[in-house]
Amino acid sequence: MTDTDKQETILGQLRGILEESSTVEPDWDAFSTQSTIESLGLDSLTILDLLYDIEEVIGIHLEAKEVLNVTTVGEIIEMLIAKGA
Amino acid sequence: MKRLCQFAEYGFFRCVLFLCDTLPYAVTCLVARGTANLWWLVDKKRRIVGRDNIIRSGIETDPKRALAIAKKACHNMALVIVESLRSTDFLGEDRIDQHLQIQIPDDVKAVLEDPEQSLIIASGHYGNWEVAGHWVSRYKPVAGITRAMNNPYIEELVKKRKSRYRFRPIPKHDGNTGRFLEVLDNNEILALLFDQHAGDYGMMIDFFAHPAATFKTAAMLHLVTRTPLCFASCHRVGPMKFEITFSPLIQQTRSGNKNEDIKAILNSLNRDLEKTIRQDPTQYLWGHRRWRD
Repeated sequence: MTDTDKQETILGQLRGILEESSTVEPDWDAFSTQSTIESLGLDSLTILDLLYDIEEVIGIHLEAKEVLNVTTVGEIIEMLIAKGA
Repeated sequence: MKRLCQFAEYGFFRCVLFLCDTLPYAVTCLVARGTANLWWLVDKKRRIVGRDNIIRSGIETDPKRALAIAKKACHNMALVIVESLRSTDFLGEDRIDQHLQIQIPDDVKAVLEDPEQSLIIASGHYGNWEVAGHWVSRYKPVAGITRAMNNPYIEELVKKRKSRYRFRPIPKHDGNTGRFLEVLDNNEILALLFDQHAGDYGMMIDFFAHPAATFKTAAMLHLVTRTPLCFASCHRVGPMKFEITFSPLIQQTRSGNKNEDIKAILNSLNRDLEKTIRQDPTQYLWGHRRWRD
């Protein structure tokens, strides 16, 4: 599987996770690697839900400190691929 | 006009602080109790909320006795303020043993003494939670959520007083998504009071057998970061004398069902808090509307 394929797969998985747990209604049609964490309504509390779900669905444990400076979905995907997703 | 009012409030607060710092402790407590009595007379809403919460908890069924407990709880709140302002007087290394008894399991002590470990301490508005925070800061810096005061001058003054010990306030509403994670990443202690109405981010968990929206933060941080988590309380046993009790570390393995994992942790925390409150219901903050159904 190429990196682009992986990106697409993980993007779909992340969208599934976020659709379940998001407390706001983002524009899902515009959901992409460029989407910002802020636009998805994630705050210091809901980002924890995201980290839990990523580990359950994708099977990769992200260290909390690694996501401190993340600003876009694409950066999360890069981290996951780097960790073997 | 607003600024003038803020200055007036600030001046009054400075006077209170001065009196608190200079008067003998017993006199300060008398003044605090008198002020609490005044507050009790004026704030009818809190009186009713406190009484109804006590009845609902099942701790007391008779409305008059419930009201008496709620009044003593109001005195307790005044004492919390006085004790917190005076805590540096009696929490010095030379006198600490005269004022505090500590019940701490080995596993919690090991985490506190490990410079490479952070710890999440969950607690409620019981006894004097500020004293507990002060004591535990001898091991590592403590960070806790605080609501900013409406008056910026008083806010600044309170911050300066807090900095007498290693406490760092985290604003309740902040754009920094990583503010809790930063504390844990620095191997510090995150102290969270979980017993207030949690609103949308809460999970309905039984508190004295009635569902209450309970903050998930402590549970989620534990599950996601694997940071050790325990419950702690600070029970007043006499004037300026306290017993600080820690639960053993809560060990919740991830089952894959997030909501069940959170529920298990929050049930455990609420049970610990209920047990603590039953020790002496007059030391609990009953005036908060925890149940909102």
